[in-house]
Amino acid sequence: MAIHERSLVEPERVLRKERLVIDGVDVSGDWNLVILPRVIEDYDLDFLDEVLKQPEGKTILQCYQCSYCTASCPVHNYWDERYNPRHFIYLARLGLIDELQKRADVIWRCVSCHKCTHRCPKGVLVEETLKAILKVMSKKGLIEEYPSKKFDTFFLEAVFEHGRIEDGELLFGWIEKQGYQVFKDPILKKPIPFLGGTPEWLKQLAVKPIKSMNIDFLILNAKHMLFHPKTKNWNKFKQVLRKVFDEEGVSLAH
Amino acid sequence: MAQVAEQTKKSPMGGIGKRIAYYPGCSLEGAARAYDVSTRIVARDLGLELDYLEDYNCCGAMETKNVSFWGTVLLNARNMSLAKRQGHNAIVAPCNGCSFSLQRAEYFLNTDKSVYNRINELLKEGGVDPLDEVPTTYHLLEWFYHEAGPEEVKKRTKKPLRGLKVANYYGCLYTRPHFYARTYSHTATEEEEQARPHRRETADDDEHPYYMNALLEAAGATNVEYEPMHTQCCGGPHSLSDEQVSEKFVMMLLQTAKRNGADVIATECPLCHASLEMYRHRLMMKGVPDVDVPAVYFTQLLGIAFGHSANDVKLKDNLSDPIPVLKRLGLI
Repeated sequence: MAIHERSLVEPERVLRKERLVIDGVDVSGDWNLVILPRVIEDYDLDFLDEVLKQPEGKTILQCYQCSYCTASCPVHNYWDERYNPRHFIYLARLGLIDELQKRADVIWRCVSCHKCTHRCPKGVLVEETLKAILKVMSKKGLIEEYPSKKFDTFFLEAVFEHGRIEDGELLFGWIEKQGYQVFKDPILKKPIPFLGGTPEWLKQLAVKPIKSMNIDFLILNAKHMLFHPKTKNWNKFKQVLRKVFDEEGVSLAH
Repeated sequence: MAQVAEQTKKSPMGGIGKRIAYYPGCSLEGAARAYDVSTRIVARDLGLELDYLEDYNCCGAMETKNVSFWGTVLLNARNMSLAKRQGHNAIVAPCNGCSFSLQRAEYFLNTDKSVYNRINELLKEGGVDPLDEVPTTYHLLEWFYHEAGPEEVKKRTKKPLRGLKVANYYGCLYTRPHFYARTYSHTATEEEEQARPHRRETADDDEHPYYMNALLEAAGATNVEYEPMHTQCCGGPHSLSDEQVSEKFVMMLLQTAKRNGADVIATECPLCHASLEMYRHRLMMKGVPDVDVPAVYFTQLLGIAFGHSANDVKLKDNLSDPIPVLKRLGLI
């Protein structure tokens, strides 16, 4: 028997017998598979309220579970079937936090391609709603820190500090955060891309502009590394941003 | 694959303005310098004027919006306020991420009065003029198409891109979601169209965009079949934080292009471009077949067609090295 949305059923809940005979009648074939019921021990009604409080999560109640989002989702289709936006919205609305927690390893994997939001017939901002769910899960301590959040915060810090980001700093800063040994010159403490323990692909890419003698490109990047591109009069605006972040409970390293 | 039929395609309708506020975004002043330089060249040749947005700040891209809603809207509102200060009511952004962020802020400012009021207060507090009217943001491609158009491109083309097969890669956020990008299907019924109250007349088709195809075709290139990969994700904001998924997505994009006979992939977003180039290199190191298609910004291709040299459009900056392919075809 085919199971509809097989990815929603854990393997241990599926009982299948090769040959099943009941009262002397062979029922193998269509009837030899049983899915054990799911036991819900607890639910959290507060969860939905919290999602609704987020500015991005306001449209969650418009969802009528048609699954157009899931059918469109590249992460669901090409990576892991357990990533299922419709199901996440369903679980969040019922407050089934245990079930959400079981999917903590995939729930952050949204690549923000917005196919779900675009195609939703009910006008749910699906991508934003999923991010709101993720935010609430983080807030309630239901999910440990996940890679995309680490990167998002790291990015936000760079924006907050200077008003603009610099690609080299972002890339090497992130590589360093991943545990690679980035070689830095002893005086200015700036990364030298093709030395040290950076990944091989990065070294090869970093050498390319040197090999092709792309001098003005190298000068531009060196200049940006030494003098970080900045927005003028940023300090006053920074204070306002900090106030907003504090209200939202965003904690930055600086 | 259902493509937009010739008769339903829009003809350039103007109305955006030949002179516009130009929000390049951080990336275009650093690693994606080639896109910035070639954009300026092409705009000048087409008789359009870019007014550089002085002292702008980062749009927050896709990353900050996941952490702070108010912070991201505020960052973009500041840029909008700067555009107003320079006397513009329209902004053009060449990056999908930037145009998305600005359009997202535009959506929330226009639809939610409480967001509008609070943001204006915060802007005042930060020493920036509050917004009396929210400016509109267009993607560079949309602006080129409607203010110049394929006819103009054909007129300016001195060295047609004859024999060059291009896979046009639009990326996700150029047409999606319709709430922000305000796109709609050109073949939709009247009723379906009305269901999208914020739609914009000049916007590209939502699921089958064709502006880049039209511009490059006018410059003499041949478009290869690339649907539905033309709006498939490259990994985007997870390019660095979720390498496995990004690698698989880019592999699909590159292999589809190669197997459909493309010489180059034309891009219109610095993040997609960087992601394609980075993972192309990594996939090639792993020995994955059919991934060696180089990525070129569509403005670089237009620049070459308009008679500029490889150095003018900074082809050397492309880490995927499209120079041998273009040389083989005698284009540079």
